[in-house]
Amino acid sequence: MILIKNISKTYDGITNAVDNLSLTIQSGSVFGFLGPNGAGKTTAIKMLVGINTPDAGSIMIGDESPLAVSTRENIGFMPEEPHFYDQLTGLEFLEFSSDLFKNSRGKSKTELEEILKKVNIYEARHSKIRTYSKGMKQRLGFAQAIVNDPTYIFLDEPLEGLDPIGRREIKKIIETIKEEGKTIFFNSHILADVEALCDQIGIIHKGRLIYSGPVNQFRKDMSLEDQFVKTIKSL
Amino acid sequence: MKNTLVIAKSTFRQTIRDKILYGIVVFALIFLGSTVVLGSLSLGEEVFVIRNLGLAGIYIFGLIITIFLGATIVYDEVEKRTTYFLLSKPVSRADVVMGKFLGLLAAVSITTLLMLGAYLLTVVLSGGNFDYLSIGAVFLQIMEMAVLIAILILFSVFTTPLAATIYTILILYIGHLLPLIKQYALNSGLVAKYILTAVYYIFPNLEKFDIRNLIVHQIQVSFKESAISVGYAVIYVVLVVYLAQLLLNKKEL
Ligand SMILES: Nc1ncnc2c1ncn2[C@@H]1O[C@H](COP(=O)(O)OP(=O)(O)OP(=O)(O)O)[C@@H](O)[C@H]1O
Ligand SMILES: [Mg+2]
Repeated sequence: MILIKNISKTYDGITNAVDNLSLTIQSGSVFGFLGPNGAGKTTAIKMLVGINTPDAGSIMIGDESPLAVSTRENIGFMPEEPHFYDQLTGLEFLEFSSDLFKNSRGKSKTELEEILKKVNIYEARHSKIRTYSKGMKQRLGFAQAIVNDPTYIFLDEPLEGLDPIGRREIKKIIETIKEEGKTIFFNSHILADVEALCDQIGIIHKGRLIYSGPVNQFRKDMSLEDQFVKTIKSL
Repeated sequence: MKNTLVIAKSTFRQTIRDKILYGIVVFALIFLGSTVVLGSLSLGEEVFVIRNLGLAGIYIFGLIITIFLGATIVYDEVEKRTTYFLLSKPVSRADVVMGKFLGLLAAVSITTLLMLGAYLLTVVLSGGNFDYLSIGAVFLQIMEMAVLIAILILFSVFTTPLAATIYTILILYIGHLLPLIKQYALNSGLVAKYILTAVYYIFPNLEKFDIRNLIVHQIQVSFKESAISVGYAVIYVVLVVYLAQLLLNKKEL
């Protein structure tokens, strides 16, 4: 379970990027975190994976804070628009990522290649990341997020920049991972995909949570997108 | 600790494959080869001139490589947000700083040793003896580079690559003047004395690592003296890297 209690974050003491956010995400569920640009989604997810510390409030992943190194053994994170060490090859980067975890250190080349096959960049595994397209980088970003077989997976706009085939592939992997009982938290703008994948959603606007609960309860008789636009505009 | 090494390895790979680095190294090797020509212009002093220019060349090109690689290393990591990959994994900010330091030091050492190899070959081919004394000089040079890498990393935590480069060159300059500054302090008024003494202890005394002049004249440096220099480098590096880590800890990413 992921337990977020009253977390807040300001940048430079001015912007309330995240304002008193509380959420509970059940183990084994897929949670979609929605909000317009600048709403605070990335700020929130960075605190969830221990990159930044909240100014106030607390976060529990399982029974521990993400600031504890041991918690992060079981976390996978894909940043938005990821940048890599571009002189490394895809396989080298994945190996590097894998070696940073105690439980996946020394994974065999075949195991790593298996993951690259899953996200469909196996052919490019020996090419430098410098030569990868945006979508290929996105796939590699996804691959490194699952390399340690994490219990909790955080994805910041995982479907951004992918072609329709890529989107379908990644969605399929998310579904498989879900069936394995993992907990997935992801930020997204692509509401049709959110609708298809998520059990629960949270909607954030100007740092404040304006809804959290099942998708159906929020959208009522409209599509998620229409209801989302209507709600945000009415605020 | 393990993760520090994993980060060091990828940092080494990333930096050693830089095209601009290749350019600098090729240029350095051409320079070292060309000392033969310059040596032949000096009547009878061929090997002396080659050793003199060669060691100076290794130092200058070593500096260029160090600053070129060091000024951007942590800055890029933060600006391009590659740190997100690291810090969301079981990696501490201290691992990041130390890993970057070690990876960079390895890259600088390898390129410096490559230049040393070319230099030794040049000396032998020009009729000199195997210049084993120069190995000590280059080893101490690598210690100086280690200090500079630590300083570059510290600066690149909170400032731009250009500013980091300028500050480091300034420190380099002052660092080589320190023995003079100490002399000067002894003969100054009370306030000036305190200030200059403080400068003497805060800035790295880089003259400790320069034995090229002695080596060129075949003067050996005592083991004890060299060991003190190495110890000095280690302590300085540890303090600066620790400071860099404290600053990175405070930084909002
Ligand atoms: N490093 C930073 N320094 C200052 N302000 C920041 C910083 N990062 C984000 N902000 C501000 O915090 C707010 C929330 O930004 P955040 O990146 O979390 O939004 P987001 O919901 O992820 O947006 P998007 O959908 O565009 O990715 C914005 O107003 C943004 O300008
Ligand atoms: Mg974002």
